[in-house]
Amino acid sequence: MADLDAARRELEAALGADDVLTDPLALRLYARDASMVEGSAGIVAFPTSVEQVVAAMRIAAHHGLDVVPRGSGTGLAGGSTPIGEALVLVTSKMRRIVEVRTGDRLAWIEPGVFNLDVSTHVRPTGFTYAPDPSSQQVSSIGGNVNTNAGGPHCLAYGVTSAHVLALDVVLPDGRLVRLGSEGPAAPGYDLRGFVIGSEGTLGIVVGVGIRLTPIAPAVRTMLLDFPTVEDCARTVSRIIANGVVPAAMEMMDQGIVRAAEDFAHAGYPTDAAAILLVEVDGLEAGVEAQTREVEAAATAHGVRTVRIAADETERTLLWKGRKSAFGAVARIAPHYHLHDCVVPRTKLAPMLTGVYAIARKHDLIVTNVFHAGDGNLHPLFSFDRTVPGTLERVLAASDELVRLCVDAGGALSGEHGIGLEKRDFMPLVFSQDDLDAQACLRAAFDPEGRMNPRKVLPDGARCGDFAAAAMARGGALPEGTWI
Amino acid sequence: MDLIHPHDAGTVAEALRDASAAGTTVLPVGGRRHLDKGNPAEVDAELWTTRLDGIEAYDPAEMLAVVRAGTRAGELRAELEAHGQEWPVDLPEDATVGGAIAAGVATPRQLRVGLLRDTVVEMQVATGDGRLVTSGARTVKNVTGFDVHRLLTGSLGTLGVITRVALKLRPLPQRSSSLIAHDGGLDLGTRLLEEVPLPAAILAEPDRIVVRLEGWGPEVEDQITAARAVVALDDADDPFPEPLFPDAPIVAEVAVPPSRLAAALEGRDAWRAMLGVGLAWVPADDPDDLAALRAKVGDVGGIAPVIRGSGGLGEANVPAPDVQRRIKAALDPAGILAPGRAWSS
Repeated sequence: MADLDAARRELEAALGADDVLTDPLALRLYARDASMVEGSAGIVAFPTSVEQVVAAMRIAAHHGLDVVPRGSGTGLAGGSTPIGEALVLVTSKMRRIVEVRTGDRLAWIEPGVFNLDVSTHVRPTGFTYAPDPSSQQVSSIGGNVNTNAGGPHCLAYGVTSAHVLALDVVLPDGRLVRLGSEGPAAPGYDLRGFVIGSEGTLGIVVGVGIRLTPIAPAVRTMLLDFPTVEDCARTVSRIIANGVVPAAMEMMDQGIVRAAEDFAHAGYPTDAAAILLVEVDGLEAGVEAQTREVEAAATAHGVRTVRIAADETERTLLWKGRKSAFGAVARIAPHYHLHDCVVPRTKLAPMLTGVYAIARKHDLIVTNVFHAGDGNLHPLFSFDRTVPGTLERVLAASDELVRLCVDAGGALSGEHGIGLEKRDFMPLVFSQDDLDAQACLRAAFDPEGRMNPRKVLPDGARCGDFAAAAMARGGALPEGTWI
Repeated sequence: MDLIHPHDAGTVAEALRDASAAGTTVLPVGGRRHLDKGNPAEVDAELWTTRLDGIEAYDPAEMLAVVRAGTRAGELRAELEAHGQEWPVDLPEDATVGGAIAAGVATPRQLRVGLLRDTVVEMQVATGDGRLVTSGARTVKNVTGFDVHRLLTGSLGTLGVITRVALKLRPLPQRSSSLIAHDGGLDLGTRLLEEVPLPAAILAEPDRIVVRLEGWGPEVEDQITAARAVVALDDADDPFPEPLFPDAPIVAEVAVPPSRLAAALEGRDAWRAMLGVGLAWVPADDPDDLAALRAKVGDVGGIAPVIRGSGGLGEANVPAPDVQRRIKAALDPAGILAPGRAWSS
C-alpha cells in the first residue's frame, strides 16, 4: 500500500498546495469520466508544466502509486476512471499553444488545449488541424491522442494518428522522451504510433506536435433526406463506390433529427426517416464534380430532396444541428448511454436494422447519429436511470450491440476506446496470443504496471505466459469500480 | 545459408519457432527491393515471403483489401486498378506489399494521399518465437487494443514476419498530370508549394522540378494554371516517380523538418527533395561523402539512413532505448530476426 500522505506532501511541494486535491468532493468528482463507470481516486493533481508532470511521475514511481492521466474527462469508455488509490494527473491546466510553424507544417500544443481552440488558432495561417470529434469544444488534445480520436472530417483526412508528427511523453519512471519527429521519419520503432490510442496506459502525453493540413479552397455541404433508413445507408456505399471520398458523411435518423432540430433550428426535415450530411472539398471545380456524383448516388437511392448550403452561414447551421445532437438528446430523457462501434460500411443497413430490433426487445429509446462514411455507428440509448430495472435493460442491450457489431465483422470501438467499459469484450475480437502480445508490449513501456492499470486489456492477458490457461471471460468489472 | 520458403502463415510461425529454439538467425525477405536499408548482417537462413501471395478479400465498396504479405505490388496494382482504386504507395512492380511495409517506405505523393503507415489497418504477423498475432481490424477506423502493427511498420523485419495485412485504399484520381520545370532549387519548389492548391507532390532537384497533380478533371486544370503562373512547365512523359539516381553507389534518405532542407542539402550538387515534407533522396559517392552528409543532416536534427548501397541506418539518439529493447524482446525473445538492422548511437 502506497504512503498516500507522504506522496501528497511531496506533490504539494512540487506543484503547490492549490494544485493537489485530496478532499472527498474532489476525489468523488474525479472518480469518473463521462462514461457510466465510477471508480475511486487517491490524489488529484493539476500540473501546469512539463517539469511538474516529471516531478509528479517521479513521486508516483517512488511511492509505487498508480497514475491515471486525464484531460477534460469527456471519455465515454471509462479510460480515465481511476481505480483504488490512484494519482489522477489532470492536464487541463497545461493550456498553451506553444508554437505554430507553418514552414514545417507543424504546431506544438500542450495536452490540455481544447481541440476546437487548436483549429481556431491556426486557421488564419491557411492551415487546420483535421480531427474534429463532436466533443471538440471541450475535449483536450491530450485526450484526443490517447483515444486516437476521430470526428466527422476524418473520413477523407484520417484520424488523430495521421495528424500527429511527434509526442512528448513522460514515461512511468518520470523520464521525458520525444517520440516521432518534427521531420518525416524518426529512428527506432514507431513508438509515437503505438502510444496514440493507448488510453493513458504507456505514459502521459505532455506535448503534441500536430501536423498542419492546408485548408481546401472550396467546400460544399449538402443535406440529403431519405424516406427510409436503408436508402440512406445504401447511398453511403454508393457514393464511395462511385469514387468520391467526401470530407465528411454523417447520418442521422429521425429520432435524433427531431431532437437536434428542436434545439438547433437548422431546418432539418423532421419527417425524413434519415438524413445524410455530406461535405465535399477541394478546388472549386472539383467540388462541383463531386457534388454532382453525390447527387447522382442519392437519386439512385430515392433521395427526396438535396439541399446545398448556399453560403457559410447556412453551412454552419447545417453543422450546428449535427454537432449539437448529443446535447439535444437531453430533451428525450435525463440519461444516455452512447455506443461506439465500427463495421464495414456496406454493413450499415443491416446493422441499423439490428440496432432497432435490440432497442425494441429491451423497450428502450434509441437514436442514431454517426460517421456513416467510416462505418462508425453511435447508437444512443436515452433513459431515466432512476426508474428501477432500466439500467439493467440498457446494459443487456449494450452487450447485444457489441456482439452484433463483432458478428458484422466490426471492431469494438471506432474512436471512443476500450477503457473499462469494453475490456472484457476484447476476447471477442482477439485471440489469447493477440492479447498476450499486447500485454507484453504494454509492459515494455510500463514494467511495473502502474500506468492506468486494468484498462484496455482483460485481466487474463499476461506477458511472457503464452500458454496460460484460458482466463475467465466474464463481464465483471475490476474490484473497486461500479456502474 | 538455408532457405525457408513457406506457403502459409502457419508454416512461417513454425519455422520461426524452430529457429528460435535452435538459435539460428533469419532474415525475412520479400521482393529484395529494400534489403539495403539497415544493412542486415549475414544470417543462417533467409525466409522468403513470396509464396504467401494473393489477395484474400477485396470489396471495392469498402475500399479495403486483405492481402498476403508476399503479394507483388504489380499484381495488387492491376487488381485494384480494374476497380478504379489504388493502394497509394508507389513501388516497383516486383516489390512485395509486406516488404514495403516492413521497410516503411516513403510515399512520394504523400501531400495528397498520406503516409504508408496510415494505410495499414490490420496485420497478422509471425513473431520471432513463432506465434501468429493479429492486431487492428478490417474497418477504416478503429481504436480497439494496442496497435502492434504500428510497431511492425518500418521495423525492417526485426520484430516478426508480416504475413497478411488489410490495407486502406483510395479511388484512383480521375485525372493526374506530371509537369516538369527546367529550372530547379528549393526556393522555386517552395513557391510552387505555396501557389499551387493541394498538389500531390512537388519534387525539386537542383536543376528541375517535377510537379504532380491529381484530382477531379477540371480541378487539375486549375492546378496546372496556378503552377504555370509560377514557372514555365512542360508535360512530363516520364513515369512518376522516376528511378532514383540509377548510377549512384549510395543513396540516403534524408529526413529533416521541412524548413531545414536547405541547410541539410547545402553544398551538394545532386538531390531530389519532397517539398512540404522534409524528405530528400541524396546520392553519395563513398562512405566519406555519406559521413559528410550525415554530419550536416545531424546538425539540423535529422537522420539519413541509406536506402541503396552500404552505410546502414546511421547514428541517432533513439528515444527510450530500454523501451525499444523490451519491445524487441517481447516479440523476438531469442533475437533471431534480421540481426544487424539497427541504429548505432
